Amino acid sequence: MHPISYFQALVLGLLQGASELFPISSLGHSVILPRLLGWDIHQNDDYFLTFLVATHLATALVLLGFFWRDWVRIVRGLGRSLRDREIAQGDADADARLGWLLVIATIPAGLLGLTLEHALRSVFASPTSAAVFLFGNGLMLFGAERLRRHAPVRRGTDYSDERIAREVSYREAVLVGAAQAIALLPGFSRSGATMSGGLLVGLSNVDAARFSFLLATPIIGAAAALKLPELAGSQGDGVRGPAFVGALAAAVTAYLSVRFLVRFFETNRLTPFAVYCTVAGALCLAIFAVT
Amino acid sequence: MTKRPALIVPAVLAGVLLLALAALYFADSAASLPSFIPGHEAGSAHHHVKHGIATALLGLAWLVFAWFQSGPSSSKPTATRGFE
Repeated sequence: MHPISYFQALVLGLLQGASELFPISSLGHSVILPRLLGWDIHQNDDYFLTFLVATHLATALVLLGFFWRDWVRIVRGLGRSLRDREIAQGDADADARLGWLLVIATIPAGLLGLTLEHALRSVFASPTSAAVFLFGNGLMLFGAERLRRHAPVRRGTDYSDERIAREVSYREAVLVGAAQAIALLPGFSRSGATMSGGLLVGLSNVDAARFSFLLATPIIGAAAALKLPELAGSQGDGVRGPAFVGALAAAVTAYLSVRFLVRFFETNRLTPFAVYCTVAGALCLAIFAVT
Repeated sequence: MTKRPALIVPAVLAGVLLLALAALYFADSAASLPSFIPGHEAGSAHHHVKHGIATALLGLAWLVFAWFQSGPSSSKPTATRGFE
């Protein structure tokens, strides 16, 4: 008997792949949904964490594949700047500058994740906490749209990466990257935090989304890779089959999600997701209160 | 980015020290760590791998910073905001 059935793995995988990239908190949904469906799955169970490693790894690989050409350009840019011991200013080498913005933004999130993940997970693992934070995530998205510096759509002739490289300073990259740490609280969204941060530092929705997706790949991939030995080791016994199914399902929905969202944010805002999170968070709180 | 050559030596020192500390975290159990190092725990056989990774990342960041500071000064006009 598997601790997670194949059907549960399929549902949770589909949910994880989609909700990881939509700014609605995949972890929050993975905590809330089992409670709503009456499944005996808890966020702090070892097998569930091992299962999540597989679905996160799948999501990271999909993102890497989707933005493969961009990553090749960015890594080449990083190599050029290291060789020259110089990060060219302005649009002279946007790939190098974007690459270093991503590196600098990933460091604080990585450090905070490494040091705080276990403590926060232990304290805020309950579905009720996740519902409260999901509501808070909605407010965060509303706030970002309200406090944004620029119009949601900015049509320009230059490429999105050049705009990001030009408009985001290193200090702002640190702040946007550190904002990802809020996603350690189940219910707050990593992509929601980075998109909100992007809007606050002056990016348009489409640029903020692109920066968020590029930021997601190293942090999700590294987090999954760090825990991969658990999936391969004894902790993965009995859960590898469902984890594989969940990973495949997550890969499919992650691919469809990123394709959809890249186009969605060309003309749309975070507001629909803010509405969803506040309503879903409040509804879940009400349901948990009466059940 | 404005070059500050005076920061090269301190940055290299910080980077090397942090990498050495990271090696200590990987190699020694929590009980074997010197008592002034965060993570020391008497009687614990646990290895603070995450502490090690975090420390190594910080060390590498300092070394990369030193590497860029040692490069030629840029004469191009600044068009972006940042540390400059």
